[in-house]
Amino acid sequence: MELISLYPTWFEPNLGSGWVIGIIATFHVLASHTSVGAAMLFAYLSYRSYKEDRPDYLDFVKRYGLFLLVFTYVAGSITGPGIWYSTTVGSPNGIGALIHSFVWKWATEWVFFVIEVVGVYMIVYLVGKVDKKTHMKISLIFGISSLATMVIIIGILSFMMLPGKEQWFAEGGYLNGFYGTNTFVQMGMRVAFMFTMTAVVGGIVISTIKDATFKKEMTRKLGWLGIISTLIGSALFQWYLSSVPEQALLVMENRLPDYFEPSIMAVLAGTLAYFIITMIQPRLLVQGFAGAMTIIILVAGLWPEETARESMRKPWVAGQYVYSNQVIGRDVPGMDIQSQIPTLEKVGLLKAHPFTPEHLREVNEGNRIQAGEFITMTYCSNCHSPSQTGIRPLHRYFPDGMTQARMEDYIRGVIEPGTIAYMPKMPMTEDEVTALASYLLLNNEGGQTAITAAIDKEVADRKQKALAKESSDSANAVISLNSTTSQEAH
Amino acid sequence: MDAGNVQHITDMMYALRNPAGVPTYPIVFMALGVLTFALHIFFVQLMLGTAGVTIAGAFSSDPHWRRLSAAMLEVAKVSVSVAIVIGVAPLLFVQVIYDPHWYTSNVLSADWVIAFILILILAYWSMYFYYFQNSKQKGVEAAPKARWSMILSVILLLVVGYIMHNLTKQMLHPELWQSWYMPNGQMDYSGSKLHASNLWRFGFFISMAIPVAGAMMVTYRRFKMVREDADMDYLNFAADVGKKWISVGSAIALAFYIGWMMTLPETAGDFGTSFWGIAGGVALIAYALWAKVRLKNNHPLCSYMALPMAVVAGLVVAISREMLRYGILEGFFGYDFMDYKVVMDWYSTALFFITFAVLGGAVLSYYLTVAWKVGQTNGVYTPSATVDRMGTAAIWILLLWMVQFFAVGFWVWAQ
Repeated sequence: MELISLYPTWFEPNLGSGWVIGIIATFHVLASHTSVGAAMLFAYLSYRSYKEDRPDYLDFVKRYGLFLLVFTYVAGSITGPGIWYSTTVGSPNGIGALIHSFVWKWATEWVFFVIEVVGVYMIVYLVGKVDKKTHMKISLIFGISSLATMVIIIGILSFMMLPGKEQWFAEGGYLNGFYGTNTFVQMGMRVAFMFTMTAVVGGIVISTIKDATFKKEMTRKLGWLGIISTLIGSALFQWYLSSVPEQALLVMENRLPDYFEPSIMAVLAGTLAYFIITMIQPRLLVQGFAGAMTIIILVAGLWPEETARESMRKPWVAGQYVYSNQVIGRDVPGMDIQSQIPTLEKVGLLKAHPFTPEHLREVNEGNRIQAGEFITMTYCSNCHSPSQTGIRPLHRYFPDGMTQARMEDYIRGVIEPGTIAYMPKMPMTEDEVTALASYLLLNNEGGQTAITAAIDKEVADRKQKALAKESSDSANAVISLNSTTSQEAH
Repeated sequence: MDAGNVQHITDMMYALRNPAGVPTYPIVFMALGVLTFALHIFFVQLMLGTAGVTIAGAFSSDPHWRRLSAAMLEVAKVSVSVAIVIGVAPLLFVQVIYDPHWYTSNVLSADWVIAFILILILAYWSMYFYYFQNSKQKGVEAAPKARWSMILSVILLLVVGYIMHNLTKQMLHPELWQSWYMPNGQMDYSGSKLHASNLWRFGFFISMAIPVAGAMMVTYRRFKMVREDADMDYLNFAADVGKKWISVGSAIALAFYIGWMMTLPETAGDFGTSFWGIAGGVALIAYALWAKVRLKNNHPLCSYMALPMAVVAGLVVAISREMLRYGILEGFFGYDFMDYKVVMDWYSTALFFITFAVLGGAVLSYYLTVAWKVGQTNGVYTPSATVDRMGTAAIWILLLWMVQFFAVGFWVWAQ
């Protein structure tokens, strides 16, 4: 048997598994970046409180800390592993590749994560219960540990786009995979934007300050933090774009939605305007305004940014060797990893997939739509949903009036060899081409209703045939038994 | 199941392994997985048990119960965080050596995996809602507000526990994966069902929350009794409740454990009567007996040992659980995680252990020492010179770690 490492497929028809991962990841980025930025802000304010004997700074730390504890730490600490969960079900080989290369890095991050969680409780609940010097030390430890969690994870995130060094493919090694230009530029960019988020979310807390003078002071402090970090982050974003593979830029130019660039620019400009306005007029900083700004950043800034980062890696999902459809599409001699493309070219998808049911291993008249569906789910559904809604629905890509022959030609000429820059190679046998074309055509013409009806019929026919075979076998067995009995009697 | 089928399943599991291999010997990941699971499940049990005490106290008119309820809510709240953060580690290690099983199990119940995240957030927020509704209330005269939210929180926590139980149990049934992927002859890509549960097993891990909460109450008395403002009547009441919960809870948990061992799948063979099958139950009995004898007179040291001893009993059970998994997957199906391809990486392996032991040890010793002392101090706590130096050392170690991270990084980058 020539099986490859393909798992069952989870198909979510309304959003698509890709969007589910994206939504959880975006929310986590907001929560985690804000938390790390706030941790560093707390360290700074605790230090100032200790040096200048300013208890009001510690009060602010307590308020902001409690706010973070309830909202971002709860949600952030759950959506963090939540990204594992969602990628596990949406892209098991993608997350598997990261886990198996960077397990110790994640485990190291976990040590800092434990410190961070204990630290946030101590920062919030020990204000006024320990002396200022001790609180400052607790805050410093908390700040550095939070930053450590971030710099570690960025190396892993960068690997998703491309390994740190090209040598990784030939030599392997964690260091070659982790550190590279993209790692450091992304680190700088994220640290900058993390402070922007801290300043925006901090506005929600500042808006509750009653003392006008203190409110003005904190608004200005966070305003400057926000302005400087936004400008630095924007500059680093340009540098970041120069550190990604050419392929990614090509995808970005051709595949990202039209709203991407204006949306990012509008959010950056809006964020700067927000900081300037609230610095000039701190009384305008009310909970609604700060809350709305947080949501704008989440929806119009982070969502397109994270979506872009996801899209730009295509056709790869991890390390430029795992395709978005989970197939390993490239040799990595340094890790003794072999491409699975030759196996697929040799035996086809249905024979190579460990979860292909017995009756689908060979395509025939009685299972063509089921086989086509199985191939579509495995090869396509991570990026293209075979439903009306969801992620880039397949039906949008084929005109009305397609014929079986044209669809087969398209699969042979474009899909199989992977001639579209951002799509993987998808080798299959001639029978599988026929099955896939039949399924896509039916999906295009009749949608899910037609597919369900066709599959129901195929399943019913198969069961009927099995029943007929069973009764024929038992009849033969009876005849054979009678004949044996008769011979024995003779 | 005939030999041909078993061989097919074994081939499938080996095919699903990640070709990148693992960066150190697989046994190391197994050991860390067991250890961190034991800690994780301990905090899960502490969270559930103390949440149970919170609810029991919230519905009682006894002032001691009300007070205990508020105190245990503080423990429950922190325990949720700690359970989550510690739970990350076994979740990581299981993906390293049992990736074929964990990923397949998750994909086949994907909707529930996603629901897990949302339900856990709601459970946590629900607990915080209850906390904020009652945090300003000083006395114990009035009944707590929004008790429904605490009940809801516990129910939701039990639901996420049940989801996790199913995901773990499904790993043990590779012979059924195909039928779950194609029920009634038709493919099911929805991931909308949970497929395998054993209520004895689930009930066992949940019921352990009772003795663990009992141990917490015993420790609570010991911890608070040294304060000048200690109310010994109340603290003795808490310890008495705790001791009762340890005895009764251990008996309930033992019954569930026996039920679990008697309902193991055929693929587990005679695990229930094997050394490790019996060891889990013996650990429970030993813990209950130890508590009965050593906690009788509220012995000062033993009162502090109530929680660590519960961790030890939990660790034995965690080893039994791991041996059961190994017994089924290796013993019956011939899948041995020990032969996972090793692509040795000494640097990242060493960095983890040094970070874990030196940095983690230094920082957490400082943090926990301060937290401990604050809990026993009236007014503002000012650390001694030694404790203060521990803080300074922790900061320096952290800074050194950051320096090495970037120094190594820039060196690699520059090559």
